[in-house]
Amino acid sequence: MAASQRAELGASNVRLIKDKAARWGVTLGGGLVLIALLLIFFYLLYVVEPIFRGVDIEHQQSFSVPGQGQTVAMGMEEQSEIGFRFSDAGELSFFALKQKPGTDWQPGQLLLSEQVAEQPTAFAATQPQNKRYAYAVADGQARVIEPKFRTKFTDGRRLTTPVVDFANDGDLVQVDPQQRTLVKLAYEYDGESQLFAGVTADDQVIVNFLQANRSFLTGEVELKSKFTELPINGAVDDLVVTPDLRQVLVRQANRFYVYDVSRTGKVTERQLLNIDRRRFGEVTTMQLLAGASSIMFGHANGLITQWFEVSGENGRQYQYIREFKAGNSAIKDIVAEYFRRTFYSISESGEVGVFHTTSEAELYLSHVDDLHAEQVVIDPRANTLLMQSEGELHTFNLENEHPEVTWSGIWQEVWYEGYPEPQYVWQSTSGSDDFEPKFSLVPISFGTIKAAAYAMLFAVPIGLAAAVYTAYFMSPSVRKVVKPTVEIMEALPTVILGFLAGLWLAPIIENYLPGIVATIILVPLAIVLFAALSSVLPKVWRNRFTDGRAALILLPIVGFVGWFSFELSPWVETVLFDGNVRQYITNELGITFDQRNSLVVGIAMGFAVIPTIFSIAEDAVFSVPKHLSNGSLALGATTWQTLTKVVLLTASPGIFSAVMMGLGRAVGETMIVLMATGNTPIMDWNIFEGMRTLSANIAVEMPESEVGSSHYRILFLAAFVLFVFTFVFNTLAELVRQRLREKYSSM
Amino acid sequence: MISVTPNASNVETLDLANLTPEQTALEIRNLNLHYGEAQALYDISMNIPKNRVTAFIGPSGCGKSTLLRCINRMNDLVEICRVNGEILLHDKNIYDKNVDAAELRRRVGMVFQRPNPFPKSIYENVVYGMRLQGVNDRRTLDEVVERSLKGAALWDEVKDRLNESAFGLSGGQQQRLVIARAIAIEPEVLLLDEPTSALDPISTLTIEELITELKEKYTVVIVTHNMQQAARVSDQTAFMYMGKLIEYADTNTLFTTPAQKQTEDYITGRYG
Repeated sequence: MAASQRAELGASNVRLIKDKAARWGVTLGGGLVLIALLLIFFYLLYVVEPIFRGVDIEHQQSFSVPGQGQTVAMGMEEQSEIGFRFSDAGELSFFALKQKPGTDWQPGQLLLSEQVAEQPTAFAATQPQNKRYAYAVADGQARVIEPKFRTKFTDGRRLTTPVVDFANDGDLVQVDPQQRTLVKLAYEYDGESQLFAGVTADDQVIVNFLQANRSFLTGEVELKSKFTELPINGAVDDLVVTPDLRQVLVRQANRFYVYDVSRTGKVTERQLLNIDRRRFGEVTTMQLLAGASSIMFGHANGLITQWFEVSGENGRQYQYIREFKAGNSAIKDIVAEYFRRTFYSISESGEVGVFHTTSEAELYLSHVDDLHAEQVVIDPRANTLLMQSEGELHTFNLENEHPEVTWSGIWQEVWYEGYPEPQYVWQSTSGSDDFEPKFSLVPISFGTIKAAAYAMLFAVPIGLAAAVYTAYFMSPSVRKVVKPTVEIMEALPTVILGFLAGLWLAPIIENYLPGIVATIILVPLAIVLFAALSSVLPKVWRNRFTDGRAALILLPIVGFVGWFSFELSPWVETVLFDGNVRQYITNELGITFDQRNSLVVGIAMGFAVIPTIFSIAEDAVFSVPKHLSNGSLALGATTWQTLTKVVLLTASPGIFSAVMMGLGRAVGETMIVLMATGNTPIMDWNIFEGMRTLSANIAVEMPESEVGSSHYRILFLAAFVLFVFTFVFNTLAELVRQRLREKYSSM
Repeated sequence: MISVTPNASNVETLDLANLTPEQTALEIRNLNLHYGEAQALYDISMNIPKNRVTAFIGPSGCGKSTLLRCINRMNDLVEICRVNGEILLHDKNIYDKNVDAAELRRRVGMVFQRPNPFPKSIYENVVYGMRLQGVNDRRTLDEVVERSLKGAALWDEVKDRLNESAFGLSGGQQQRLVIARAIAIEPEVLLLDEPTSALDPISTLTIEELITELKEKYTVVIVTHNMQQAARVSDQTAFMYMGKLIEYADTNTLFTTPAQKQTEDYITGRYG
């Protein structure tokens, strides 16, 4: 007796262990799923987070200004190891910026100093990436200097040495044929041709275009000079030439002149802009931004305004775009970065500001280390800042990885360079370095919603109708075959649907557009007509049309109507649309027609979504308790009345969740939209145009984005947005479903 | 041995085999029913009198519910079910080709074993049948609701919460609501399929009292497992066994002096 009891206890211990193990296993599994979700969530956030960081400036070295005279310009080489400065005495000095292993360099140590121009009268610098500088000397002549850096590798160490190089073989260029002294100089260079602009001592503005002509036979380049004197009177404050050598920009106080320089060197006035003194204040300085599309004006009240050319009635004209507030004292200088739309401002009070135009962001505005800044310069990689202050030079580490991204820039309209108005644009890359990246997530979020909406338009009626029919009207034996068949469709790889849609369906839709439209309209009409006809048949006949038989008769009718629509298509096209619907839509109606459009996506993605909706909705309708529908039937309700008044009501939570699951699938679907649309990030509900969705955008651009770049992080942000999208949809769906279930669930 | 108190009401005993047309609600003639290959009902013939309560008793699976469901053609919903024979309602065979099942069921109402209110308010449950026929006039509906709920002895309990969900009611109240719903469309015949088997004794009693009242206006046919219940509420009782109608007589006679041995065995509790 006692032994058997012990045995029983032993057995129950095993059961207990099994029970506990199962419980722990399930808890562990559930917990791991949650943890995995959270990890994805936080990893996305972790990658995205740096784009919203501000600028970080950290002091590195300080040393007294090497060389003689006043600084007119400074620069750095790419590694930020060597700096250089041009003095007002025509001296170019190179100096070390930091200690370097393998050398005896000390910060501030003079490495090379050379007199490059005798008694200069004016100085000019190209846009930073062109790396050329020019001094005007006596008799209207100028010398162009190129500071260069030679890199050698010895014993595995990189050793950089500075070299002074001169353009034009070191010859002086006669900028003014009349040999007048130049008090201001502007210079640009496009690889071959050169453009000088200058102001003479008697306030004449002159332009000299040195056009490069390559000799056919010898391959030698010959520079041909074309000289023009501009009809401007009075003192000139600023003079700039654009790096494409097409424009000369002249500023006299608040008057801003734009001159076009043609390829042959002919100079014509394009625009005279009066910068409103009352609105913006006195202009104190002027600077071209990277890409040379935007001109920045500094004002006496600390304002900086951005202007660029916008197409209007009088052609392209400079126009006020936006402004930045860089403190309250007058802006002394504006320094543009090499490639990005970031610029640095220095005010009279010595404050340094860091701004980015596209994102309209003020990234930094302060006295750096409580110093009074007089001049700043940024290195080509934009991570070292060299600043002159009271006879000393200071270097700073600059962390400013993603100035082009702000939350508002992503979600609001932004006025991009060259655009006629603020817009939502996604255009992340281009072939040119002058390109301004456009990161608006609005068009691709819109595309996601558009694709999902058209897919749902197609999938919800068909999916739900099929589900209701299968669950409620179909005989059990047929249902046993139909339901798994539809569910197998869900397992179809979407890439197959995608390429079928893109390569097979899209041309068909293009060629038989009237047929497709007619099918969509006529087939439901034919079904309703058939139902109406059968209801006026004598009762004896009607009672034979039970369940499956009606469907059997309906099938050939649907087939016939579809065939009829397609046969009719060419005829309709000839009679109504001048033989070509596509041309008619484009030319007569003015609607853009893409071959891979939302209609194709709607049908293809609808096809992918239907099994999801069908499966869940079918279960919901089928699981409505029989005693409820019987109760309704017993009260004299017809099958249809029972369906609409009791069954659908009771199944509504399930049907709702079917639709939401379908929506979730449509929002996240990638391959179909990737392959069946043109992936054009446009914002238009037009059914004949494509779209680009968040998911397709990530798939298209992730392989070509540089790891850690703003573009890369924005794509992660897009992924995060997609994640939040589906999360919000599903949570909302679940909440509504719970409420419906409370309301309509039967005992 | 169970003691059975026969129906105390002093209704006159009818000659069930030869009812006058005025006395007849339903005539069942030579009814056979098959589920696929299996036969469930064998050659049933019986007359069901008007404004009386008729009970079907018998052991589980004897076909009493199947027979009840034949009367309003609920068996049509079972795909493999075939019916031969006739059931006459006003001399018209309800299995005739041109009889609309929905219209028939409006005239022959039914209440099921488990209370099955719809996921709607109490009010909407009661007027469901009226709305099906396109009656939407608020005043008419209000009258119907009050009359039906009073008829089902539920009015006093729910009159202040007509717009609340029917799921808030107790099981017994739900079953009376279902009865109210059935009588709202004023059927001629009311079929009750074990209406109290899912209820507690108090609710059962209330429903039984209700059934006795209902026969003033409707012909009631009730299927029950509970012999005391059959004895208490019915005026005549049919005993069925293995798909056959064994004995059909007025309740007093059947319970006190059964003509058949099988009937006696059943009512004395020897099997079933």
